[in-house]
Amino acid sequence: MELILAAGECNAADEIICVPESVNELFENPFLGGVNRTMVLTVLAALIVIGLLYYGIVRNRKRLVPSKFGSAIEALVTFVRDEIAVGIIGPQHGLKYFPWLLSIFMFVLVGNLFEVAPFINFPISSRMWVVPALLSLLTWVIFVFSGFKEQGFTYVKDIAWPPGVPVALKPLVGVIELVSTFLVRPFSLAVRLFANLVAGHVMLTLLLVSGWVFISGQGGLAKVPIGAGWLVVGLAIYAFEIIVAILQAYIFTLLSAVYVQTAVHPEH
Amino acid sequence: MNVFTTLLLAAEDGEETSGIDLLLPRDVNEIIVGVIAFIIVFGFIWRVASPALNEMLENRQKRIKADLEAAQAEKAEAAALKEDYAAQLSGAREEATRIVEDARQAGESARADIVARAEGEAEDIKARAQQELEAERERAMTAMRREVAGLSIDVAEKLVGRNLDRAGQQALVEQFIDELGDTED
Repeated sequence: MELILAAGECNAADEIICVPESVNELFENPFLGGVNRTMVLTVLAALIVIGLLYYGIVRNRKRLVPSKFGSAIEALVTFVRDEIAVGIIGPQHGLKYFPWLLSIFMFVLVGNLFEVAPFINFPISSRMWVVPALLSLLTWVIFVFSGFKEQGFTYVKDIAWPPGVPVALKPLVGVIELVSTFLVRPFSLAVRLFANLVAGHVMLTLLLVSGWVFISGQGGLAKVPIGAGWLVVGLAIYAFEIIVAILQAYIFTLLSAVYVQTAVHPEH
Repeated sequence: MNVFTTLLLAAEDGEETSGIDLLLPRDVNEIIVGVIAFIIVFGFIWRVASPALNEMLENRQKRIKADLEAAQAEKAEAAALKEDYAAQLSGAREEATRIVEDARQAGESARADIVARAEGEAEDIKARAQQELEAERERAMTAMRREVAGLSIDVAEKLVGRNLDRAGQQALVEQFIDELGDTED
């Protein structure tokens, strides 16, 4: 769909790379009535996550020796549990947050991998309000709630009037910390994920579509080598984006855990 | 141009689009779908996958622990059995040694017995032979004595030239020889 869209609007004869008039065109795609591509992919992502965990964990729970697929999913899930939940938040509180951390990790991971999934090629994490902003808000709510639950009002007091800082600096550091903790954190969390996936998606679409358009001769024979160049770069970026998709899911989950950790462990 | 492109162009006709739109919540339905999808995922993980994972890991832990304990028990049992067998083996060896020893002693005594009996028999045979020899000698002696007496008488008759009282002379000679024999002995 992406290919058809961009190719249809590309002025292959005049341009050296196919660029749509507005970047939004790469992210809009109404389907039928009120249901657009993002909605379908969001539901698909949820189904894939549930399917992976169902066949990897739930169906495998009685088996002493897990299947190969089960082992792979188990490795992923226990990585989130042991390295992120327990590893970052600590053994005392970590397991309580595990279902939430696993949810965001799996959901973001699948949502990101849609960027490089053949025939889908659209990361739902590049829709700010479907994954990044919502999950960042959720993280914000959870870490603020955890902070108050574990430390009471001391939580905000220690941020606004930090202990161990010279008195003269306390107001300044306090304000910085307040802004950083309660405003910048959720925003940076959301924007980091969103921007990475948007950038990747734009790059992949432009490079691969340009490659396709020029190689297929729509810009004349002289532009075929240019198309080949775009295709090679595009494929390199494609491999790179696979790493980015996984890495961003990990970072998102890791930072969420770190934020909770700083809320439940005051002195660290 | 296909149906999707047409739809898209139609949707965008009345809109002024710019980059910032990407950051703003434009489509509420998308957000609702996202929230619902995430809630379902979270609910599934919270209620189903996470307990299943715990169950799986606990089962495995229990099973491995049980297996290790069973292996330990079996190992101890095997060690006890081995000790038992070793004891039995050394007992058997001792018994075998004893049996061989007994047999040797029995053989030895049997041999001594046989030898003793053989010696006894040999002694008997020898004694009998001696007796027979003695008797034979006695007989021969008697016969010879009688012969010698006869001859002496014959000789004396020839010397004297007359017939002597045969019976009286015989007794005389025999007496002489007896005396002679006695002195000889």
